Parts: sequence; C-alpha cells; structure tokens
Amino acid sequence: MKNNSQMKRIIIATVISFIFFIAYDYFVLQPKQKAAAKTVMEQNKTMQTVKKEKTKINKSILNSKTLVIVRAKDFEAKIDEFGRISSFILKQKKFEKKDKDINLVSDKLPKPLEIRFNNQKLNSEAFKIPYSANKTDVVLNGNKKTFILTQNLNGEIVKKIITFYPNGRYDVKVELSKKTKYFLSPGYRPSVAVDHLTVHGSLIEKADDTLDVIKDGDAEQKTVKNAIVAAGFDRYYTTLFFSKKPFEVMISPDNEQNPVLYIVANSNLNLTGYIGPKYVDTLRAINPALVDVVQYGVGTFFARKLFLLLDFLHKIVINWGVAIILLVVIVRLILFPLTYKGMVSMYKLKELAPKMKEIQLKYKKDPQKLQMHMMKLYKEHGANPLGGCLPLVLQIPIFYGIYKLLLYSIELKGASFLWIHDLSSMDPYFILPVLMGVSMYFHQRLTPSNFQDKMQEKIFKFLPLIFTFMMATFPAGLVLYWTTNNILSIAQQWFINRVMAAKKVKK
Amino acid sequence: MILKKLLKKPVRFYQYFISPMLGQNCRYYPTCSEYAVWEIECDNAFKAFFKSFFRILRCNQLFRGGIDYPVIKKNINPKFGIKKKIVYWLVPKENNKFIVIKAKYEK
Repeated sequence: MKNNSQMKRIIIATVISFIFFIAYDYFVLQPKQKAAAKTVMEQNKTMQTVKKEKTKINKSILNSKTLVIVRAKDFEAKIDEFGRISSFILKQKKFEKKDKDINLVSDKLPKPLEIRFNNQKLNSEAFKIPYSANKTDVVLNGNKKTFILTQNLNGEIVKKIITFYPNGRYDVKVELSKKTKYFLSPGYRPSVAVDHLTVHGSLIEKADDTLDVIKDGDAEQKTVKNAIVAAGFDRYYTTLFFSKKPFEVMISPDNEQNPVLYIVANSNLNLTGYIGPKYVDTLRAINPALVDVVQYGVGTFFARKLFLLLDFLHKIVINWGVAIILLVVIVRLILFPLTYKGMVSMYKLKELAPKMKEIQLKYKKDPQKLQMHMMKLYKEHGANPLGGCLPLVLQIPIFYGIYKLLLYSIELKGASFLWIHDLSSMDPYFILPVLMGVSMYFHQRLTPSNFQDKMQEKIFKFLPLIFTFMMATFPAGLVLYWTTNNILSIAQQWFINRVMAAKKVKK
Repeated sequence: MILKKLLKKPVRFYQYFISPMLGQNCRYYPTCSEYAVWEIECDNAFKAFFKSFFRILRCNQLFRGGIDYPVIKKNINPKFGIKKKIVYWLVPKENNKFIVIKAKYEK
C-alpha cells in the first residue's frame, strides 16, 4: 500500500517536471525568441533613419542597383553600384529552403567590401557616384576569375580588383590614386543562424596567434593592430578578411552593442576574403589560421580537437553517424586497459566468494557497513572489481564536446544516418531516444548497485524513462553516442558475467 | 560557509540523481562523493576541493582502492562538559592530523 502511493508520487513528480519543461519552453523561451526577432526587425527599420558611423544612410544606399553578378556552382554573388557585395546566395542543395534562399549578406550595414572615407566630403560622394565595372556577368566554371571596379570621386580614383574563387574565397586589391584614410569592412556578420543558444559576433586573430572573440552585445570601441584575421560569424556562417601581412582593425559597436569590424588603411591594400559556411576544410585550404574562425562557445579547444578526430573518422567511413559510433568504440578502447585490469581482478575474486557470502549475510541490513567490509576484503586480497570514478568522469568532457560540435559544425548539419535525416537536430520519430531508454534499462539491470535509501532506489528505476523524455529533444547525434555507449557497456558487462559463470562451472 | 554549501549541494544532487544511474563504481570506502562531503564539512573549502579532485583521479583500476578516510590537519582546543551530538570522530594521527570517520551514517 505504502509502496503504491510512493510509486504514484514519483509518476506525478515526473509528469509535473515534464509539464514544467514544456510550459517553460512555451511561455519563456518562445516569447524571448519572438521578442528578439521583433527587435531585429525594428532595428532594421530604425537603421535606415539613424545616423551611422561617418555617413548618412539614405535610401539609395540600401536599395542600390546591381552592377556585377558572380555565378559559381555553389553560390551567386551580387556586387552593387557602390562596389559592395550586396547579396551572397548559397546554391548547394543542403542550403536550399522552401520559402527563402540563404543570403549570407545581412540586411544591416556595412556590406562586405564597403569603403568609408574619413574625409566627410569624400565619403558622401562615395555613396553618390556609382562604380563602373569591366565585366558585369562573371561565370566561374571551376576557375578563379578577376574583374575590376572603378570609381572616380572628383579626382580620387578608387579601384577594386576582385578575384573570385569557386569555393567562396575572393582576393581584393584596393588601389587609390591619392593617399587618404579609409575603412574597409568585411561586412556585418551573417544573420542566418542567430539564436540565444549559440555564440555569434566577431573575431580578430592577431599575428601572434592570440584570439579576440567579441560576442554580440559586448562590443566596445577600440582598435586592434597586428591582426591577420577579421571575421564576423553566426552559428554556421562567416564573412571574413585575411592577410599574411598584419593590418589594423577597428571595432565599432552598433546600437545593439554588436561588433562591426573595419580595416583601417590609407593607401593600397591587399586582402583575401571569404564568405560562406564555416567548413573547416575550406577554411584550412585558404589558410590554417582561419580554422580558428570556427568557434564552439565554452570549451572550444576541446570541441575542436574532438571535431578533427571525428572528421578524420568521417573521411574513412563517409557517414557521420558511423563516425560517431567509431568514436565511442575508440573511447572505450582507450579505457580498455583499465577495464581489463578489472576483469583480471574478477578472477581473483572468485576465490573470495565464500567470504563475501559470509559478509553479505552478516551485514544484510546495513549497506554502508557491508560496503566497508567488502572494500576491506578487496584490499586485503588485492582484488577490486569496480571500475572507479575516473573512467566515468572522463566521459563527461567527451559528451560535452560532442554536444558542442553538433551544435556548431555546419558539416554535421543535415548529416543523415539510417532513418535520421539530420544528426544535429532531434530524431523526428523518437526511435533513438526510446532505444537509449531501453539500453539504459538493461544496463541498469546488469550492473550491481546498492542503495542507501528507498527514495534513491525509486528514482533509479524511473531514470531511464525520465531520460528518454529529456533526451528526446536533444541532437540525434548525441543520443546516438549515448545509446552506442550503453550497448557497448551492456556487451562488456555480459561478457564479464559469462566469464565469471564459466569459471564457476569449472570450479 | 556559503562556499561550503555551494560545494556540497551539487555533490548531494549527484548522489541522489546521477549516481544511481551509473551504478556502483567507486573503488573506495567512503565513496568519492561521500569523501568530498566529509572533507567539505571538516576541512577548509579549497583543501576539500583539491583533495576530492585528486581522490577522483586516484579512483581507477591502476590504484588498489579500499578504505581511504579523509585525513585533516586541525588544532583542537578541548572543551568539556558540552552536550552535543557527535557527527564525526576524529582519530588522532601524528602532528595534529586526524582521520575523519562519520559517527552515525545517515543521509
């Protein structure tokens, strides 16, 4: 009777906590996101009227005419009459959306390649007099192509020599006929994948390999000398400038305190740019220093190392899901020497079996005393079958790292595995979470455990169920990792149990 | 005091909600988590943190495990005639060091 009511209470507790999560999501998280979306829209509206930087933004700047179109297999870029990249649309199937193309150039100013002059007069002219181009339609058939934009500002001739590559890289050479201070922008960070969960903003890498990550909302006006990378990034995409020759970058906060980057120069400038998804391979091909543009939030260092390992596995087995399974196997193999030692001590243990029985009978009612005397027995005979806390603790950073890389890696977005069409989002059929719950249940049944009180035991029994619900909304890749880990644990435990049984029979 | 509470809370949470899920793993008595609680209650918070940290590092198949009570350094001024419930027994070792053993094991 008492048991029954306790059971009821636990079920009620589970249901209540579940309702709480749903309610929290509905009443707190969703309105937050809506409010954020609203402020972004309002921001865009006010942007058009607000005085920004050293120029007045008028309609002609926002609705400029297109001058050059660059077409490649993977993207289509438009350059407008003020010599800026006004739109950059990804053409790969992975980035196709039903309602809208993915445009990596944000609605907010500045656009990539936008030049602003320190001289007020020159600046206002720069946004009145359009550029001219030597080509208007540039088609890249797997080769890089160059075109030249020219602007004559009453004697000051501005030239942009732009070379586009098929992978989204572009080289730009700015030439001025007379020296004057100006600011060149890599563009406002892409605003395609911006949410509360992930880091977005700007990043500056200096020649001495130090990184300066400025999150949106934290920006302060300052100048950084000796920079080699200046990038704006959201969760999956980036727009950046890179140069082997160090340059000076100005960080200028907008009215949301988001960082906007400008390269400060007063004469000719040679830069490499990139707009596109943060593919580690593409970035590394341009320059290894650019790999740091892929940020994973807290724990970036570890998550990146884990990603490189996972990427290496992926290149061998082609499928990301299989790569994750392989990763679990590798982690368990690394821990195997420890497990093996445990198995060896199992053999020793069988000799202790009668003594253990005796102790178990003696301290039946006091689990703490029982545990203590068992430990004493183990120590006396140099045998200890328990795996220890360290192997468990070691799993935590790996689990966290996988969570992070699933959150940030564009490579894993849309990666399919059997019935799962995207490992970075939840399993739409809930098969994997259920499998995880089931595997957890069996793992629990196989591992011996003792409880200090009844409440703990009850919680223990319901944990697989609670976890099934909790993990249902987590990225499928993470659930896959855990499920595989459980199954391997079960296999290992089963193997140990069988060895034990075989030894007993022999005796 | 607040620091000690802040350290103890997650350990207790772990003992109730996470530990049961993982089964019995610890090679020691008292277990790593229990060791941490005793340390936090009897020693200074920073010492307790680092000692518990190294205890977890030691808790693997390369070490023998077994009984391992916390050992603390303490200067004790004896007071007599106070009626108080005994929470921990401090068993003297050399140089003001004491082995900590919980008097009555209750959660």
